[in-house]
Amino acid sequence: MKLTEDHIAYIVKDLNYRGIVAEGVQEELIDHICTATESEMKAGLRFIDAYHRVVESFGRTAGLRETQRQVLHEETKPKGMLKNYITVALRNLRKHRFYSFINVLGLSIGLAVCLIIVLFVLNELSFDRHFATAQRVYRVRSEIVFGGSEGRFLYAPAPLGPTLAQEFPEVEAAVRFRDRGSYLVKRTDENIKEPRTIWVDKDFFKVFPVPLVAGNPATALAEPNTVAISQSLAEKLFPGEEALGKTVVLDNELNVKVNAVYTDFPSQTHFHFNLLISLEGDPEAQQNRWYSNNFQTYFLLRPGANIQGVEAKLPNLVVERAMPQLKEVLGNDFSMEKFRAAGNRMAYFVQPLTDVHLYSHYTGEFEPNFDITYIYLFGAIAVFILMLACINFMNLSTARSANRAKEVGIRKVMGSFRSHLMRQFLTESVLLSFLSLLLALAIAYMLLPVFNDLSGRVLTLPFGSRWFYVIFLLAGILVGVAAGVYPSFFLSAFRPVQVLKGQVALGMKSGLIRSALVVFQFTVSIFLVIGTLAVYQQLNYIQTKKLGFNKDQVLVIDDAYALGSNRGAFKNEVMSSGKMERATMSGYLPVEGGFRSDNPWWIEGRDPAMQENLVSIQNWRVDHEYVKTLGMSIVQGRDFSDEFPSDSSAVILNEAAVKTFNFPGEVIGSRIATFADDGNEGPDRNKLQVLTVIGVVENFHFQSLKENFSPVMMFLSKRAGGPICFRFKSADAQEVIRIVEKQWKEMAPGQPFTYYFLDERFSRMYSAERQLGEVFGVFSILAVLIACLGLFALTAFTAEQRTKEIGIRKVLGASITSIVVLLSKEFGKLILIAFALAAPLAWLGINWWLKDYSYKTEIGVGLFLLSGLVAFTVAWLTMSFQSFRAAASDPVKSLRSE
Amino acid sequence: MHSPELLKGTLQTIVLKVLKDHGRMYGYEITQRVKELSGETILLTEGALYPALHKLEAEGMLTTETETIGKRVRKYYSLTPQGRSLVKERVQEFVGFIKTMGNVLQVNVG
Repeated sequence: MKLTEDHIAYIVKDLNYRGIVAEGVQEELIDHICTATESEMKAGLRFIDAYHRVVESFGRTAGLRETQRQVLHEETKPKGMLKNYITVALRNLRKHRFYSFINVLGLSIGLAVCLIIVLFVLNELSFDRHFATAQRVYRVRSEIVFGGSEGRFLYAPAPLGPTLAQEFPEVEAAVRFRDRGSYLVKRTDENIKEPRTIWVDKDFFKVFPVPLVAGNPATALAEPNTVAISQSLAEKLFPGEEALGKTVVLDNELNVKVNAVYTDFPSQTHFHFNLLISLEGDPEAQQNRWYSNNFQTYFLLRPGANIQGVEAKLPNLVVERAMPQLKEVLGNDFSMEKFRAAGNRMAYFVQPLTDVHLYSHYTGEFEPNFDITYIYLFGAIAVFILMLACINFMNLSTARSANRAKEVGIRKVMGSFRSHLMRQFLTESVLLSFLSLLLALAIAYMLLPVFNDLSGRVLTLPFGSRWFYVIFLLAGILVGVAAGVYPSFFLSAFRPVQVLKGQVALGMKSGLIRSALVVFQFTVSIFLVIGTLAVYQQLNYIQTKKLGFNKDQVLVIDDAYALGSNRGAFKNEVMSSGKMERATMSGYLPVEGGFRSDNPWWIEGRDPAMQENLVSIQNWRVDHEYVKTLGMSIVQGRDFSDEFPSDSSAVILNEAAVKTFNFPGEVIGSRIATFADDGNEGPDRNKLQVLTVIGVVENFHFQSLKENFSPVMMFLSKRAGGPICFRFKSADAQEVIRIVEKQWKEMAPGQPFTYYFLDERFSRMYSAERQLGEVFGVFSILAVLIACLGLFALTAFTAEQRTKEIGIRKVLGASITSIVVLLSKEFGKLILIAFALAAPLAWLGINWWLKDYSYKTEIGVGLFLLSGLVAFTVAWLTMSFQSFRAAASDPVKSLRSE
Repeated sequence: MHSPELLKGTLQTIVLKVLKDHGRMYGYEITQRVKELSGETILLTEGALYPALHKLEAEGMLTTETETIGKRVRKYYSLTPQGRSLVKERVQEFVGFIKTMGNVLQVNVG
């Protein structure tokens, strides 16, 4: 018996009424019920009875609905849906190309920056940890306050190393380092300059086990006149040959044997020496002088030994060894109590090897170290930039929600569960995050060389590491979920009835959270802009500050000692070229890296045994031309002169020294004294060296502006060695170099010609500041860029939303300007709020950073206003581009379209 | 009538095997066929049958085609090659299960 059309129509309607509406399920059930009804009717039932019996067998309405629900549930299981999610997600991304592009771009810039910073931070944290002994190696540092000067050094007395190794049961081995500057190295005649040279004890390879290419680590440095060289130096000296056992000449005079070749120290090491010279048999290393500190001393703790035990015994060494010797040198009524009463101090501490790179900033570092605070700072910046990028994503997604609200409503009406929608939105954001990650990798790959250049590191993307991919995947999911979770909660919570009535869209525009996020973005951006400007202002201040001498137009010829006895002749020959104004020979240059030597002096006639009479002062041995060549200014008295033979016992002080000595009478003509020291035997208590003050120079900066002026005295010395400085007239520095180099080649054949300009070396003292400035600059540009990208898209979106409103306004006579202002006003307010938040924070930050500097620039209101203006202008330009486009569009089009 | 509890785990096997023996079928036809084969002792409920069919379809074991007869749309199910190999597996598995149950319950099965 077949059903009539009317019967079928009834069934369709009835099932519809009972809520069987889902596509796919509906038709199938109708057919099933029709067929079943037909067969019941065959048994003789009336249509309506047959139908009700069939429906009853389903479990009536509840059973039917349950069947429908179960079928839908099977169909929408995640496994089956993932493909669908991805298809829909891709379709959506493609449809909204502009927003997707901004999202991906912003996120990938953020991720790239994050990736680079993470690589950098990991690199910094791994310093020195590659040594198998890293956890057991310590070095000694000292704090010495004496005669008004104060120092925190890495230098320790010569006997300390052997004492640690022999008398301390906790110590397995100790190694001393003695830095004597760079060396010229040659096989036969052509010299190579090797600045990374150090003298070390024989246990070096025990404390720092680096793999040897050739040689025996235990005996490599055990004999006098032996060296160990790095593989790269070996390749330079002996290309294609075996270096082991060969002899090389150091500084044209010392023959040494190559006893070992080691693989170069990895870049994450706090030193990179290429030439290790054995201290075995070295006279200075054998001296038993506890009061003279010249050796960086490292030691290896025995496994399981306690470092506190070592540290606790160090003060005893000062009392038992150093104090008796000081007493001998300074006179009989010297005593520990008087020494301390005069405010003096001598103390040694230990420092773990793994702390060196990030926590150590003392005099005597082999290479500039990094600072843990900058690690935190960079880490914070990375997190912030990533947050900025994620915020863009959240803002754009929620802003667009008004458009998608309808989609959500219809999906829900069609039977979509909230979990489906959340999965859909999360799929979209994870997909975007993976796209961004790929792009971020490309960006990071391109940016890394630039960053390496900036930071002086050798970072690479670890493509070979399995962890890299694992982390990459995790990061993609994490960032995707982090950025997508808020929009997905937000969007999926819409109630279909309201959305489809159009009520939700109104609520969106005033989104408080979105405004807060924009404020946050711009707060971070403005903070970074202010920070950058402040760092640059301080840098500029340092570099243009009146230094008390003239650093420009000074050419310094390093390694003048390679000329031997020809030094004077060389200087005269170069002077005769007429391109030079003056020349001087002295190693005591007013930049870091110049020689320094401190000595206690006193006003003649006072008792040197009285601690308070002693003044610790830098002794600079110079020549007649020194003050003139470097352009220092004499404020009292006169300069050294050839006309006064008595100048050989004359001295020029700087103002700081005059203040410290506190002369009772006229400064000029006063006499100061110290124990004579011929350089080998130590100060001779029976012989005094007395100098007469003939002049006072204005204070000049000779170290980083982080330091204050220290007392300096200059006196003439025949022994004045070190580099030759020329002050040149010509503006063409290249020509000057050519002349000097030509002369050098003639008089010192085979010796490498090296030079530098004093101002360049001077600015190198601030390389850390410059790096910080540059890195900050890059980050703040990126932060502003990301924030503006977000703003750009947000304004575009607002303009789009208000197309109709703008059209009507225009029809009613609004000008383009008024519409642009209307559209930008809201975000303009947010940026003002951001500025108000960022300014005080930045002010605190800058003050914290500047507190280390004795000489600091004034950070005025202008800087803050400038940063605010920059941020505002950039943001406004971003916004006005979109606003203008919206405002300029033809109202006819915008009104017709809706 | 067999208890629905007993049938629960065998529904897919039954559907797959019936489809294998008869080629394409629609939902009502399947219930009728099973009823017939079991001597009216196994009545597949629609509430269990349709979710199972849709699940097998989502897993790629079944394909469907629809035919329109007047106002009615009829959906036919048939096995995919993948589904065909599953039938064999499921039936063997079930035979093994019956044997094991025979041993466990100490009775002789067919």
